[in-house]
Amino acid sequence: MPSGALLFQSVILGLLLGGLYALLAAGLTLYFGIMRVVMIAHSAFLILAAYLAWWSHTELGIDPLLSMLVTVPLFFGCGVLLQRLLLARLRPVTLTMMSVLLTFAIAVVIEGLLGYVFSGTQRRIQLGYGSASLELFGARIAVVKLIAFGLAGVALAALYLVMKKTTFGWALRATIQHRDAAKLVGIDTDRVAGFGFGLGLATAAIGGTALSLDTTIYPSLHWHWIGPLMAIIVVGGLGSVPGAAAAAMVLGLAQSLLQIELGTTWAQTVFYLALFLTLAVRPQGFFGGRLAQRF
Amino acid sequence: MPSVSERSTKIAATVALTAFAAVALAFPELAPNPYILSVGIVVLNYAVLSTSWNFVGGFTGYISLGHGALAGLGAYGTGLLITKGGLPSFVALGVGAVLVAVVAIPIGYAALRVRGASFVIVSIALVLVTLLVFQSWASFTGGSRGLNVPRPFPGMLRPEHHRVFFYLFLALLALAALVWWLIDRSRFGLGLKAIREDEDKAETLGTPTFAYKLVVFVVSAFFTGLAGGLYALWFGDLDPIFQFSILTGSYMVLMALLGGVRNLFGPLVGALIVGSALEYFKVEFGNTPLHLVATGVLLALVVLFMPDGVLPALGALLRRLSPTTDTSIREVTAAELAATGGDRQHAESRNL
Repeated sequence: MPSGALLFQSVILGLLLGGLYALLAAGLTLYFGIMRVVMIAHSAFLILAAYLAWWSHTELGIDPLLSMLVTVPLFFGCGVLLQRLLLARLRPVTLTMMSVLLTFAIAVVIEGLLGYVFSGTQRRIQLGYGSASLELFGARIAVVKLIAFGLAGVALAALYLVMKKTTFGWALRATIQHRDAAKLVGIDTDRVAGFGFGLGLATAAIGGTALSLDTTIYPSLHWHWIGPLMAIIVVGGLGSVPGAAAAAMVLGLAQSLLQIELGTTWAQTVFYLALFLTLAVRPQGFFGGRLAQRF
Repeated sequence: MPSVSERSTKIAATVALTAFAAVALAFPELAPNPYILSVGIVVLNYAVLSTSWNFVGGFTGYISLGHGALAGLGAYGTGLLITKGGLPSFVALGVGAVLVAVVAIPIGYAALRVRGASFVIVSIALVLVTLLVFQSWASFTGGSRGLNVPRPFPGMLRPEHHRVFFYLFLALLALAALVWWLIDRSRFGLGLKAIREDEDKAETLGTPTFAYKLVVFVVSAFFTGLAGGLYALWFGDLDPIFQFSILTGSYMVLMALLGGVRNLFGPLVGALIVGSALEYFKVEFGNTPLHLVATGVLLALVVLFMPDGVLPALGALLRRLSPTTDTSIREVTAAELAATGGDRQHAESRNL
């Protein structure tokens, strides 16, 4: 039986990790809501942002957090272009399947280009405050993990406010709920859908920067993220942001606790186990609404 | 009565098929060296895999990116049954493929209850989880050190070994294609295609959609497992990284899509193009990450500009060159039907 302090530390680390999962899953949920698209390339963009943060730190010597000033607008633009130029061209009838292949292709291209430009070597940012940590009831929490969680929390809160309080957020939610009806009341749904994709990809930029602070990165790392993230959105119920956030917290916590007994690799299987069980027992997920039942 | 254009398409298909069969049967004699022969085997293996994939992808329109994992399970199943179970090679191959089919039942049960998106997610998760398990469970699978599969014909020299396996893969391809053709003509196949065109309507009209999808997924898994197992017997050395690679699954999709998923020989044509290109790329550029970029770009181009594949494009060309321009309603997507439905109804009522 692990000691109380170790258990407590695992709980904290699990919650911190869950915060990052929640932010990234929110992005995936957004794409799914807008276009019924399972965006495989989401985590590839995540790793791309982490590489850009690492590059700006080692080559330009600036703090990785400042790289967000460039990557967030850049990724927002990429998201808009991706939706307007590529995904909107696909036939509506086969959109769900073909968009998976298209975003898969984008993920593979990003992985290949990262490997070509930065080589397959594992990279890690060396920060002045990288080894600093806080003591809390016997648990040691690295400061960078707190910063990553803070970033994810602020980004999620901002996303929530945009969705609930702004006119654009209303238009976006209307588009998600019923595209034709939204068009009827005068919303330019194509434009809104493009911006929605931009928002989703911006979460990948923030998540990637947070990830780069304390993780060793390499080009094929995105496969380790897309699996858990997809499991989270299915368990939460496709299309439900609160569901994704809750599932992210629960599964992040479960992964962190299982690591004590099983080690890091086997603990990852908890995501896939949850995915299979959810689909077998409750295919619409645990928080899914009308949308999830059909997909 | 078949129209002129239909007949010319049919003649073209027969000529192409006969030519392919003749070249394929003579290939081991024509191949200048064992390396070229082994490339031929790799391409044939791809053809079998993507034809097996096409049972699900072509008939139901459900796209699986995880068939690489099923092939890997077939390979490891066969290998482990020989090394740990002590079974004779070809018995192990059969048992291994049946085991893959059995494993596919619960996977299909979880993946197929809802529509496409969950199926894709499960298929990708399948690759990731099998890679994780087969790398971590080293005491049973050999882990990252790999697994050596004893050769089925111990005394045989390498060129002769290649020759035998070339014909074995060819026979497997013929078998898979035959079963695909039989399903295509059956009532079962009609139900599957109804699912592809409009699952809600198919269900309303009484097609047992879930059962049909599950059965065809298991059949597909069986053939994929056979192909993987045969590869294990031929190659003799398995590594989880390559056996449970997401790329294998995406190659299958790319090949089938490029050739044309609605055609029996679409995946074969795609495998000939993509498989040869992959081997050429490997020789010219080695193992750089650029082959990922090439695969991704090609897949994106096919999805964006040629989602119906090469063969339908060729067929359309033939039809345009022939005198009459009547079309059959049978192989038209719901979207095309919606777009041109009005005109066609007029044309058909006039023909009546």
